[in-house]
Amino acid sequence: MTSLILFGVFACLLLINLPIAFAIIFATLITMLLTIDTLPALITIAQRLAVGIDSFSLLAIPFFILAGYLMGQGGIAVRLINFAKVLVGRLPGGLALVNVISCALFGSISGSAVAATSAIGGFMVPAMEKEGYSRSFSTAVTVTSATTGLLIPPSNVLIVYSLASGGVSIAALFVAGYLPGLLVTLLLILASALCFRRYRIAPTSMEIVEPFWSSLFGAVPSLFLIILIIGGIIGGYFTPTEAGVIAVLYALALSLLVYKEIKTDDLHAILVKSVVTTSIVMLLIGASSAMSWLMSYEGMPQAISQVLLGLSENPLIILLLINLTLLLVGTFMDMTPAVLIFTPIFLPVAELLGISPLHFGIIMILNLSIGLCTPPVGSVLFVGCSIGKVNITEIVRPILPLYAAMLVALFLITTFPSISEILPRYFGLI
Amino acid sequence: MRTFENILRCTDNIIRFALAFLMSLLILDVFWQVIARFLMSRPSSFTEEVARFLLIWISLFGGAYAYRLNSHLGFDLIVKNLSRKNANALFKLCCVLVFTFAVLVMMVGGINLVNMTWMLEQRSPVLNIPMAYIYSAIPISGLLFLFYSVWFFFNVPSSSNFPGSK
Repeated sequence: MTSLILFGVFACLLLINLPIAFAIIFATLITMLLTIDTLPALITIAQRLAVGIDSFSLLAIPFFILAGYLMGQGGIAVRLINFAKVLVGRLPGGLALVNVISCALFGSISGSAVAATSAIGGFMVPAMEKEGYSRSFSTAVTVTSATTGLLIPPSNVLIVYSLASGGVSIAALFVAGYLPGLLVTLLLILASALCFRRYRIAPTSMEIVEPFWSSLFGAVPSLFLIILIIGGIIGGYFTPTEAGVIAVLYALALSLLVYKEIKTDDLHAILVKSVVTTSIVMLLIGASSAMSWLMSYEGMPQAISQVLLGLSENPLIILLLINLTLLLVGTFMDMTPAVLIFTPIFLPVAELLGISPLHFGIIMILNLSIGLCTPPVGSVLFVGCSIGKVNITEIVRPILPLYAAMLVALFLITTFPSISEILPRYFGLI
Repeated sequence: MRTFENILRCTDNIIRFALAFLMSLLILDVFWQVIARFLMSRPSSFTEEVARFLLIWISLFGGAYAYRLNSHLGFDLIVKNLSRKNANALFKLCCVLVFTFAVLVMMVGGINLVNMTWMLEQRSPVLNIPMAYIYSAIPISGLLFLFYSVWFFFNVPSSSNFPGSK
């Protein structure tokens, strides 16, 4: 009953376009007032807003966001695209493949799907149009492949999941994300290679201006960042948060001193932009932490998992139900609150079914990633469409095969836990 | 309205400066933690706590500033398809809700929280500063939320578009 009130109020407030963070707080407050006195309820929510974000691991998020902005404006995106061009540019459907790989590379070093969409899409959609691809297909490719960066480390969402799951190690999650992320990338490459012809209006031959070695050398400093960060975390030299600060300083030095595409005057604006983006995420985390406090106070996760477990004896069916719910949630809810609210509900059920928290995290993120590029709300879809200057209705057809590729990946990753677990086990992280 | 606008512009500049300053401080703080451990092989004890408290301040003030930029994530599908007049009415309703949130949760809840931790003399474990100082960010940023929600109520932005930042 209380959970109905909680989610009912939340849904109503969402519909009138109240920002999600406030909708979460109001739904929590109203539900809380049913059982708790007014003043203690107000104090509890206020305190959760601060305590919910009081965590050293969460500090990695502002750092990776800032590093992402520095890389986007500092010329790192262009060099990654050039690198991807010499890798796969000559294959059939070359530029579409270049788009997928650049998005995966940029998404992985910046850890944000929206950043990847805007940084890579801004270059690749016009470039693909020049080569005769339709804008809607180019945008569809950018949008879907930008989400692979959420699985390929470093990834902010995996840090949020580590917090929500109550202590799955961030290093293990980061390492676990590699193979699933690469699998999704590979399937997206396959899907775009299979269907690019339909969306190529005027085939022209692709010209690769930059010679092989120079574009490789241009990209090496950017690619080295991945080795530095992930190597440092796996090797135990620094925590993910410290790796974040290293990423910031490295990206700063690279774009300020080596590529020289950012001036010191730009730094103030970039800092403020990264703080605003960070705060949007953090306010969501604080609000969701108030909501999950209430949910565990009312015993909602147990109630919901009992209902779920009562639906079927077959663990695969329950897992399928969880997957479908998450897909649905992902279409109308942003990733961070979705992870924070639904992890405490579904993780205990998944563990009862014998799924490790690590594997479940990967399943969950991939599910929600698919949601990010699904109408009506998918935030990456929206950013992609505004950058590609296409309507959402135009993008629906070309996105379908790519969408199918992601669902196949989801099926494979859900069915074979070893895809996510083999690497962390090899490095002794689980 | 003119004075209102001047105050707004003035606070914008102060907040933008403060946010950039706190963020730089945060970077230096965590960088110092890495340096202290590697180069001087003497782990620093205070940096972690400073960083966590800075994050709270940055997030709450940044959250208020993000509201001022109207860039908090929302579900705008329905509002987009409404007439200008109805959309504006809903926007004003949202301002009222944010105002209520600022007054009840951030001001009333926040001030009581600060008072309570002050009376109980709760202090942070490493730096030994009163937790009330850290929690005071809640009512202060609440004041900003309140101010911006009133401003938005009387000055509905021409397009309440989906934000491009995340």
